[in-house]
Amino acid sequence: MKKITRFRSYLLSAAFTFGALTFTSCDDNNENGPAGEYARNGVLISNEGAMTKSNASVSFFSHGSKTVENESFKKVNAPLVLGDVLQHMTQQGDKLYLVMNNSGKVVVANAHTLKAESEIAGLEAPRYFAALNDEKAYVTEWLGYDANYVYSNGRVAVVDLKTNTVTKTITVGVQPEQLLITGGKLYVANSGGNTVTVINTATDAIETTITVNDGPSSLALDRNKVLWVSSQGVKVYDPTDWSVSEENSTPGSLAKINTSSNMVMATLTFSQKAPAPGKLTPNLSGDKLYYVFNNKVWVQDVNATSLATKPLIDRGTYVAYGFNGLGIEPASGTIYAGKATDYASNGWVVRYNPQSGAAVDSFRVGIAPNGFLFR
Amino acid sequence: MLLGIPATALAQQDTTRYHLRTVEIFGKPAEIFASGSRVSTLDSTFLRTYASASIADALQTRTPVFLRTNGPSGIAVPSFRGTSPTHTAVLWNGLNISQPALGQSDMALLPLTSIGSVAVQHGAAGATYGSGAIGGAVLLNSQTQQEAGFGAEVMQELGSFGRYFSSAGARYSSQKISVALSGYYLSAENDFNFRDYGRIGAPTRRQDQAQVAQHGFMQDISWQLSSNTRLALHGWYTYADREVPPAMGASNTNAGQVDRNLRLMTELNHGSNWGETTLKAAVFNDYLLFTDNSNHSTTDINTYQVQAEQTYTYARRWSLRGGLNLQHFEADVQGYGRQVTEDRASAFLLFRYDPSQRLDLSLNLRQAFVKGYNPTPAPTLGANWLMLEQGGHALYLKGNVSGSYRVPTLNERFWQPGGNPDIKPEQGWSFETGLRHRYTWGLVELESELSLYRMLVDNWIQWMPVTSSYWSPRNLQKVRSQGIELSSRATTTLDDWQLAAMGAYTYTASEQVKAYEGNQELNRQLAHVPLHKAQLGTDLTFRTWTLTGNLTHTSLRYTDNSNAASLPGYTLLNLAVHKKFTLGQYPLIASVRSDNVTDRAYTVLENMPMPPRSLALSLRFVIP
Repeated sequence: MKKITRFRSYLLSAAFTFGALTFTSCDDNNENGPAGEYARNGVLISNEGAMTKSNASVSFFSHGSKTVENESFKKVNAPLVLGDVLQHMTQQGDKLYLVMNNSGKVVVANAHTLKAESEIAGLEAPRYFAALNDEKAYVTEWLGYDANYVYSNGRVAVVDLKTNTVTKTITVGVQPEQLLITGGKLYVANSGGNTVTVINTATDAIETTITVNDGPSSLALDRNKVLWVSSQGVKVYDPTDWSVSEENSTPGSLAKINTSSNMVMATLTFSQKAPAPGKLTPNLSGDKLYYVFNNKVWVQDVNATSLATKPLIDRGTYVAYGFNGLGIEPASGTIYAGKATDYASNGWVVRYNPQSGAAVDSFRVGIAPNGFLFR
Repeated sequence: MLLGIPATALAQQDTTRYHLRTVEIFGKPAEIFASGSRVSTLDSTFLRTYASASIADALQTRTPVFLRTNGPSGIAVPSFRGTSPTHTAVLWNGLNISQPALGQSDMALLPLTSIGSVAVQHGAAGATYGSGAIGGAVLLNSQTQQEAGFGAEVMQELGSFGRYFSSAGARYSSQKISVALSGYYLSAENDFNFRDYGRIGAPTRRQDQAQVAQHGFMQDISWQLSSNTRLALHGWYTYADREVPPAMGASNTNAGQVDRNLRLMTELNHGSNWGETTLKAAVFNDYLLFTDNSNHSTTDINTYQVQAEQTYTYARRWSLRGGLNLQHFEADVQGYGRQVTEDRASAFLLFRYDPSQRLDLSLNLRQAFVKGYNPTPAPTLGANWLMLEQGGHALYLKGNVSGSYRVPTLNERFWQPGGNPDIKPEQGWSFETGLRHRYTWGLVELESELSLYRMLVDNWIQWMPVTSSYWSPRNLQKVRSQGIELSSRATTTLDDWQLAAMGAYTYTASEQVKAYEGNQELNRQLAHVPLHKAQLGTDLTFRTWTLTGNLTHTSLRYTDNSNAASLPGYTLLNLAVHKKFTLGQYPLIASVRSDNVTDRAYTVLENMPMPPRSLALSLRFVIP
């Protein structure tokens, strides 16, 4: 069996880092800004957990003390169980919204104390959450597949954040993934098809549907108010070894959409067909977009007319879920990657230098980290 | 004698008790070749008293084995000595019945009713029991030696949470022929209340996804064709339709599982100057259907198996058994995308030597042949020595070194996507030593055993994500499991009283010591292996009354291989009272049983609530 020496040396350094980390104490007297243990300067990390085990968790890394605390939600709310598969975590006002994919709900917690307050129930396989304001939010939902594993159209649930109830559902394309609100419009990437649905946030009616390449899954807005869409392409599996066939698959791409006209301005297509791009993440100023492709992290200058030719972060042969989550720290631009080893042991957060792409340090978090919320 | 002696409910088996005699009893158990290892038996009285339970319940309450169960209806797979469920071989009348696709046996599917005897082999015994006997083996045998005449038994049980159990059996035995037939039916709603911590405010909710319906039949026929030839036919059918409850916090996907297992075998025994010849031929059909809102997955496998054995016993000094086992699998599994067939063979040689009355030795060897997956030979060397015998005390010193192996399961090789044709068999080595002490003082008998073991399993197979699209089994790691098993039981008879008390403690440290790929969680306790398990049991009989009690403590278990999250330990108390009446000339036994008497809220696996206190009433009428 092949040994991954690189991985090992990384682990050694990681273990060393971990040794220096301790659990935080409950010192939450914060004079400036909101009070709460988790209002401090740091980052909340969503850990997906293993499906059907209901072991999703939230970790908190404090920049001040350079310490990580795992199972933060449990610590505050036990014996309450967060739920199964934490797909997406986002903040609106003082509230934290945790999309629990296989629990069919969104857990609402205080963003500063993590105290669970409510839940938005009755959702089917919710994926991503986007709030318009403190009153209204949208959640994408996949609807089930039939006997031939063909999915039907998904929907977007309109949520009243005052009552935490679904007030309306809007049928969109197949397997709606990420959604993004800008200029009074909600953009929804229908990953099971080739469209982006545009919904008017005042009327909650579909305005138009933009055709892009197959499998749009992640969305990002740059400084020019251009919407970037990553499309995965159609992947065909080799029937013998179930690898993705380079020959028979169609390539992924990044599309640029003008958010005034809702027209595709440009499509940058990858030359490699088997890998799929995803996890488009802008930096603070919106002049750079980071994304994962072929288990590597790439950076796209928003004004460039072609794709980057070299990855920023290349770990060589790396664990399959080495970039399960991607986040850019607003202040420093430091790149955070959530690395899932497997779903039976805890994952890691690895931090990378934004210029060189070199690994800086790492710390241990919960099972399958997939998202970051910087405070 | 039906209710009289639960006292010997779990007897430590003493290999010296199996005296080597020339052919007089057919089917000398394979355990005689297990010198120096730990074998315990659940005796027939226990089996009859707990006839409505499954083997999972018996192992959980009366052995050190830890059962991983996802709830009241659910799958219950054993972890012997800190190994995984695929590391237990289950044999029925000497043939391996582990489901070949998964390589493990769900103990909740195996009812205690109508099984003749259950023996539990702790530790590796690959040479004797073949593939999978790495952590241990469960040995089930049909009842063959019957008292002459006619007998029958009916039982009806009603329990909490909509539980009904009925069974009936009849048998007839003469010099020439012996016939036994039995059947059972079980249904349970399992609709108990629990606090749902997966919802805000933790509302009390009723379990609505744990219904069970099970039934089965067993048939044993044996003909004494001549004074030294016997032919037996065994048939066993079990059916289970179970709902699979979701974890708290996870959505209910209406998961359910249907298991249907048909096992037929014929066995011919013949004694001659050349010793004892045994021929076994069997056909098994294992059908499994898993469904939920979006899955409908079937596994349908026919297994044909032939085993020939020749045992030669010389005086009372030594016994030699040679044998050959052939298996043919025809697997129709949706997940494989095609029909898969496979042939496996193994040859074994078992030797037991008693150089003196006080010493028995065994030396065994097995080689399995699976095209492309040949494991290395599995030898066993064991000894059991009566070191001291004085004033009612007998002290034995035991020792055993065993090799073991597990041929990769069909799923591990053929499942699409992910099945890995390059996977290697798992190989294990186990070393154990122990002391056994027996003390007899008048009517008091005290028996204790201490075992220390260390086991290494290499090329331990685990599924891991290899690409972002699927998981695949890999030979990931080397695991070391070591521990202590301590047990003691005392029995006595005082006028109208019969008293028995037992205590047991086990310590199991099971850790990954080497990783070849992936997860590098070295020297941490494996997930779902408790470090400590302790048990106290008692059986008190006064005239026609019997009180049975079991107290079991299971320590904290980690739920991940990083040892970051864990589940608290729990202590369970089960009590049962039986009263024997006489109806006409036949005994009628009424029982009241309560499980989880202290109403402890607990989970065995994370977020899977277990039943609170339950009550069951039963009546058993016997025509002996």
